[in-house]
Amino acid sequence: MSVATVIPAFVTRESFIELEARDRAQALMDPGSWRELVGPFDRIESPWLPMQSIAPQSDDGCVVLKGTIAGQATVVIALEGGFQAGSIGEVSGAKMTAALDLATHDSENGRKTAAVLLLETGGVRLQEANLGLAAIAEVMASIFALRQHAPVVTVIAGTVGCFGGMSLVAGISSYILMTREARLGLNGAEVIEQESGIEEFDSSDRALIWAVFGGEQRVGMGVADELLQDDAKEIAAAVQRCLKVGLPVVHRSQQIDLYRDGIAALDTSQQIEPLTLRKNWNNKQAKTKEGSA
Amino acid sequence: MGVQAIPVTRSWSTRHAEKKRRIEAVRSWMDGPILQADRILDAMHLLIQAGDRIVIEGDNQKQADFLSRSLAKADPKKLHDLHLIISSISRPEHLTLFELGIAKKIDFAFAALGLRVAQLLEDGVLEIGAIHTYVELYARLFLDLTPNVVLVCAEEADKGGNLYTGPNTEDTPVIVESAAFHDGIVIVQVNRIVDKLPRVDIPSSWIDVVVESDRPYAIEPLFTRDPRKITDLQILMGMMVIRGVYERHQVHSLNHGIGFATAAIELLLPTYGESLGLSGKICEHWAINPHPTLIPAIESGWIKTIHCFGSEVGMSDYIRARPDIFFNGSDGSMRSNRVLCQLVGQYAIDAFIGSTLQLDGDANSSTVTAGRITGHGGAANMGHDPHGRRHASPAWLDLKTDPSPMVRGRKIVVQAVETFVKGDTPAFVETLDAVQVGRKAGMPIAPVMIYGEDVSHVVTEEGIAYLYKTEGIEERRRAIAAVAGISPIGLRAKPEETAALRRRGIVAYPEDIGVQRLSAKRSLLAARSMEDLVAWSGDLYKPPARFRSW
Repeated sequence: MSVATVIPAFVTRESFIELEARDRAQALMDPGSWRELVGPFDRIESPWLPMQSIAPQSDDGCVVLKGTIAGQATVVIALEGGFQAGSIGEVSGAKMTAALDLATHDSENGRKTAAVLLLETGGVRLQEANLGLAAIAEVMASIFALRQHAPVVTVIAGTVGCFGGMSLVAGISSYILMTREARLGLNGAEVIEQESGIEEFDSSDRALIWAVFGGEQRVGMGVADELLQDDAKEIAAAVQRCLKVGLPVVHRSQQIDLYRDGIAALDTSQQIEPLTLRKNWNNKQAKTKEGSA
Repeated sequence: MGVQAIPVTRSWSTRHAEKKRRIEAVRSWMDGPILQADRILDAMHLLIQAGDRIVIEGDNQKQADFLSRSLAKADPKKLHDLHLIISSISRPEHLTLFELGIAKKIDFAFAALGLRVAQLLEDGVLEIGAIHTYVELYARLFLDLTPNVVLVCAEEADKGGNLYTGPNTEDTPVIVESAAFHDGIVIVQVNRIVDKLPRVDIPSSWIDVVVESDRPYAIEPLFTRDPRKITDLQILMGMMVIRGVYERHQVHSLNHGIGFATAAIELLLPTYGESLGLSGKICEHWAINPHPTLIPAIESGWIKTIHCFGSEVGMSDYIRARPDIFFNGSDGSMRSNRVLCQLVGQYAIDAFIGSTLQLDGDANSSTVTAGRITGHGGAANMGHDPHGRRHASPAWLDLKTDPSPMVRGRKIVVQAVETFVKGDTPAFVETLDAVQVGRKAGMPIAPVMIYGEDVSHVVTEEGIAYLYKTEGIEERRRAIAAVAGISPIGLRAKPEETAALRRRGIVAYPEDIGVQRLSAKRSLLAARSMEDLVAWSGDLYKPPARFRSW
């Protein structure tokens, strides 16, 4: 019998998924470089949740840290998946928008400031529906403004995933980094099942959920940029790489024709398996690129 | 003249004759022991009769669900007033049988559907014989609950009717034996009929009818705990158990329940346990199902042997690759056996550690709570000090508090509970709900799972109460109160009494046994996710889809 006394490396790694929003944000930044904006001690809470007998949180589940990443001025905005599934309400939405706008303001005034979004969110907070929807629009407008100057990097680590309106926010960012535990999609599995029936999507089928929304599939299809291990160091290094590269030549969300043609080319007369989709999609993309070259 | 013959007034083989009569009635539909699936309902109407005593195989793992679903389609005019014996009432159709009047009375060990059982009992639709522990229920199959027909399940049969029950052998041999050797009829559903079995677990001469089921028998991955859900509090309790119980008493052999606190212990052995230098000194031999959370401890050389009640979904390949640890057959796959493993857990292990939903001030516990009749399962078999034990071990002797050679040692029985089950529902209560439920159901005694007198230690997030050391019932109650937090029982504790108990080593708080509260962090776990368990197993463990997040 072989007796292994060495603990494998994956056990001693610092898991990023294990970290709460504030710790995740800190793990990415240069030590000692950051300060928190509108932190929990400012006690700006959702006024709507207590009316619905839900305990609010002093940071409304949104953590904003301003500092540097590998020397580059950056604001990191992290949503706490453990609070109301990371949903966006009035306060958390306003914090996000304001932080992005300040980064734009700094960038326009010669101090280029990038943004990193740590998105663990089900999207709009249903208890604050209209305000949450408005927040999504504002956040998106702010990203469009900032991404002319500095990259906006979205990290989806898991295990909540990034859904609903916030998936649009991810979609317009400069880069998307995912782990294989992460999920990215507009409608979540339960919403699809509720709207279109269990034949369309069995939301209890976790294998199916990850085959469709999971990091491996999203990166595999090219709608996200890099698939990372659940390791704080590896994720921090990947974020640094993105910031170093800077703005992409063209943002993913600007490639309208590419994606429109890709969708148009799909044969939807029969059920497309996730793996087949990945393969066909990539072939199509490759051809399109050749054609345009 | 001559000896006058005594007239024959009775037959000594009525059961044999009756079985023969019933089997003959369905013979024409059968090819050897094989019956076509579409004939099963017709066959049941002839093989079973009103008022029969029927065993339906179904524990907390595998279920003969094709046969129970078929029986639920029977005509209640023909088949009624059956007396069912089911170790765990887990399938909805088990209760449909009562609603339709097909069955009337039930003897069982555990009810996963405890709420409906209580409702049907109250409505007079169902009559409870008794609630047993597992081995107790099986024992009665060979005494006063001998079955007329047993409905069981197996992986595979060959055309002659030999069975392969494989890793999930569980209860099948004992149920079949109770019928096969007392002229009961044995009907078995199999997932597949094959030409050649990997190995024969039950010989064909014990089997009467084999039917290939419409889909594989139902099985629950009941023993899989996602490490992602283990809390820092459970880790703190795990650290206390390792230091204050396992290390203190040199626990070499044990059983764990299925809670998250015990899963935490399993995942702390290769990390925290290793840092204490305890490898090879504790937790070597186990009577336990193949919990996936045991993989890191197995891989890092902590565990020498594991005997199992049943298997666990997704663990087959891993078990097959670790024959030194598990009890595998000549074909390489595991063989489990619930009765034997229960006996191991009852007589041979040093320690049992389990959890419960309610504990009273005397450490009596029950999982029966208001409106829910659940039962005892196997915990009570392992969670007691068996007076039939005679062999000594260091741990058993360590709990001997009287040096007299006429006093025996003691099994360690730990109840590990957080003081509050959730929110403001305390685990420690003045009176168990079981008392009221038992009275209402007309039970002669309350359905207590583990009696306080058998409990040697209570562990909570507050500390450990070493109950076996207490003198007299009052001191025992004070020790329990001292670790019961702010529950109704805990509020009875007086600081000066608790301080005295700590000085005498009857109560220990984490700092008394060298456990740092602040170091109880998830980063101590050898695996923090299902992905980590898969990685530890070298990709041999294949978690069911519902536990995957990738």
